[in-house]
Amino acid sequence: MKDSAVIIIPSHPRYLSVVRAVTVRMGELCGMADAELEDVKLAVDEACSNVIKYAYGGNTDKRIVVRFKITQKGFEVVIEDSGLKADIDSLKGRSLSDVRPGGLGIHLIRRAFDVVDFDDKKKRGNRLRLIRYMKEKNGD
Amino acid sequence: MEIEIVDYKGANVVVLSGDIDMYSSPILRKQLMLLIDKKVPLLLIDFKAVSYIDSSGIATFVEGLKGMMSYGGRLKLLGIPEGIMEIFNFSKLDRVFEIYGNIDDAFNN
Repeated sequence: MKDSAVIIIPSHPRYLSVVRAVTVRMGELCGMADAELEDVKLAVDEACSNVIKYAYGGNTDKRIVVRFKITQKGFEVVIEDSGLKADIDSLKGRSLSDVRPGGLGIHLIRRAFDVVDFDDKKKRGNRLRLIRYMKEKNGD
Repeated sequence: MEIEIVDYKGANVVVLSGDIDMYSSPILRKQLMLLIDKKVPLLLIDFKAVSYIDSSGIATFVEGLKGMMSYGGRLKLLGIPEGIMEIFNFSKLDRVFEIYGNIDDAFNN
């Protein structure tokens, strides 16, 4: 069996803690260090928060599917929704020097994952693919 | 997340614990805005027991800071755990907020 897990949550912010908990557990199984776990946990939380805010416009009774997969190359998380198409420009975020509320989430996602992209093939809703490549460890 | 507001030598201290995320930050925002609407001159935020913060939590404090600056009030953060401080550093907000190690330093400076 593949090293994978899938969770389906309602698009309500109270379920973000569930996403965080599963992300951390999967990251631990992937062998991540504590600092990596914190970065990845925050990034997946931010991505799901964006789905609630933007794709579903704050509607809390939709669903979000989060798939986790551990591969030889690294850790992959795919987040799917059936909401409004994401604006690709939203992946740029604001300049970090521009101090104002909002616009920080995408930087936190990009900090944790090497690949951050939307699947163009998905007709309705969004499929965000996040991949963090495993770093070579000395002595391995 | 839990919020407790206590008095320290006449200043309001907002003592936070637990996770500050998209679910809890609107509650925090409401509490902060109640104090800011009263134009309190000094507001101390105690982070010692905060275990997690996301961008919505950070945005809440940026909004609070801007609100306090509009009337010359001071918002000071204290006791920020290392993992959370790292997010303030990454977002360059460590240069924007007044950040102190403990309540005495925050109050006296």
